[in-house]
Amino acid sequence: MNVFLHRLWCSFCLMLGNQDSLIRYLLPIINFMKPNYLPGSFGAKVLSAEIKTQDVLHLHLKVSKRWPGFIAGQHISLTFNRNGRWLSRTFSLCSSTALWQTHRQVKLCCKIQKDGAFTPLLATLKTDDKLNISVASGDFVWQKIPQSTTFIAAGSGITPIAAMLLSQDHWSSPVTLIYRVKDASNAALLSELQTLAAQQPLLSINLSQSHTESAADFASKVASLALTQQYYICGPAPFMQAIHHALITSGVSKDCIHQEQFGLPAPSLSSDDITKIQATFVQAGVAQNILMAKGLSLLQGAEQGGLQASFGCRMGVCFQCVCQKVSGQVRDIRSGLLSGHGEEQIQLCISQPVSELVIQL
Amino acid sequence: MTPNAQQLDALQFDLDALKHTIQQQIGEGDARYIKRVMLVQRLSAIAGRILLVLGFVTPWLWLVGVFVLAFAKILDNMEIGHNVLHGQYDWMNDPLLHSKRYEWDIACDSGSWQRTHNFEHHTYTNIIGKDRDFGYGLLRLSNDLSWRVRNLWQGGTYLVLSLLFQWGISYHELAGQRVFSTRKKTERHSQISDAALKKAFFNKGARQLFKDYIFFPLIAGPMFLWVFAGNLLANLIRNLWTSTVIFCGHFTQDVHTFSEAQCKNESRGHWYYRQMLGSSNFSGPTWLHILTGHLSCQIEHHLFPDIPARYYPKIAPEVQKLAKKYGIAYNTGSFIGQYLTVFWRIIRYSFPGGLKTTRS
Repeated sequence: MNVFLHRLWCSFCLMLGNQDSLIRYLLPIINFMKPNYLPGSFGAKVLSAEIKTQDVLHLHLKVSKRWPGFIAGQHISLTFNRNGRWLSRTFSLCSSTALWQTHRQVKLCCKIQKDGAFTPLLATLKTDDKLNISVASGDFVWQKIPQSTTFIAAGSGITPIAAMLLSQDHWSSPVTLIYRVKDASNAALLSELQTLAAQQPLLSINLSQSHTESAADFASKVASLALTQQYYICGPAPFMQAIHHALITSGVSKDCIHQEQFGLPAPSLSSDDITKIQATFVQAGVAQNILMAKGLSLLQGAEQGGLQASFGCRMGVCFQCVCQKVSGQVRDIRSGLLSGHGEEQIQLCISQPVSELVIQL
Repeated sequence: MTPNAQQLDALQFDLDALKHTIQQQIGEGDARYIKRVMLVQRLSAIAGRILLVLGFVTPWLWLVGVFVLAFAKILDNMEIGHNVLHGQYDWMNDPLLHSKRYEWDIACDSGSWQRTHNFEHHTYTNIIGKDRDFGYGLLRLSNDLSWRVRNLWQGGTYLVLSLLFQWGISYHELAGQRVFSTRKKTERHSQISDAALKKAFFNKGARQLFKDYIFFPLIAGPMFLWVFAGNLLANLIRNLWTSTVIFCGHFTQDVHTFSEAQCKNESRGHWYYRQMLGSSNFSGPTWLHILTGHLSCQIEHHLFPDIPARYYPKIAPEVQKLAKKYGIAYNTGSFIGQYLTVFWRIIRYSFPGGLKTTRS
């Protein structure tokens, strides 16, 4: 019944103003009064934005009362307007759920990519600037099974894990945090976590610095530490692949490994990946053929060809770049899975061309 | 005189460079502008509908309401809808102003418009037999088309088409695909089925009719007939205006047409050349440009359909200079002057003979 009424309401709004909700019809008027209002997202105000450790921006936000909250480990997408354009990316929250419950505040740690399109703009945020955040999502959360647990983080992969540890209020079994960083002086959130470990005897922190310990040594150390029952891993894709592999070979069951990938593996430039493939993008009724490298995502390919595709997080989370694939085959950059050859919806940002494509933008 | 291949390449280089310089400027100012136009559109649509009901105070308020509502519809169709559907504002990532999402206050379904207008008309501009916008399959506008008896009364056909213009364009694709005809085309390239075309046509049309002729008149209670008549008039004004503007863009006296043979495997430079000769501008104050959705600068629009329209008047002098440099006619004049040549063309070609507008 509710579904029926909702659809009736949508049709009514569509009839009235060619928009599926009245809010969207009235958006130009609402935006005149509140320029930052975006339907479907929640307002947030910057309390502080500072670069505490190298390349990592610590954002402290006051969020709208309407925001429904989060489970430690989840991520949100952050949206703001720069030069007339709405931009958004996804970041994991790194503060405790208690901070949100008591003060309606959240913290984020964002790695600033020097040649990125988004994060350098983030670094220009100042106190009292307005942002929009999405509802929290993601299933990388701590299943509260009373079993010993190891968290393994690399670089800014510490953020969702920090949120989990800082939000924990009943410690019943031992927890180990293995934190891999370039060097300890630049480890984001380390002091907060060390403070927590000092108060909580069940938590121990094992810091690994890449300039003193090689990646191979680190992986074998992790494998030899295979004592606990549950594993949570977060870090760049190659790091996670290596750790996952090391754990599996040392006999850890797949079901006990939980991981969160952030960022996409950088497009590799092996000879196979730079061979060109033709993608036809149909936008606003006009077809454009683009010859793009196989190693790029379709979103990058479309943009290099001068097309404006809608996008959000650029890592397969927000589904703003979903398009209809008319024909051809694509590969999911994250999983390597191949699609079918026929019509289906795909996400441009995480799809690579495998055969000649026709895409409806 | 047709420029040779090298000249066409040089023309392409110059126009691409011009486009690049504009693309560098696109940003905050354009976003602010289009959002302001949206605001004015929404406020005038709401005000217009309220004023129609206030006709019971004095009919003058009703009359103002008719024009305010017509103004809102014109802004929505021309400066917002047409331009947004060309993808001019896709870069904003805006929830409303995206070519994939925008739907306008007109009988034509936006998807159908994108296929017939953005693709067919903008790709095959003024190629006889390919661009069905040249005369809309109803009017004979050059001696490149053979004369038929029905052309004798095409002056009347034109008047009816102008008054019902929104229905003309909403039916345009269905006519081209012969959806309701038993004489099916032998080869079809349409990506969309007849059933889907019909569904979009009837859905959108019914929504528009229901809104203007049932819903708003009904909620006006005793003012039913006033609101009904007001909406009808506003739609007619919008139809006449859009039709007039669009006819001035492609059917003025000196507009050229092309044959399929001339455009086989054409270069980008030749495409630019064809767009310049196949379109015509008219001059006027800023408000006139805005009310036409900047289609008063049809030449610039056809060269760069996807850059925000407010740049067209700014770059028109540059384009005119390039036209002179390459010896290409640049067809412009006053609104009235241009329109009179359109009208003359409709009348002249209702009779057999006349000039061919396709040159070898």
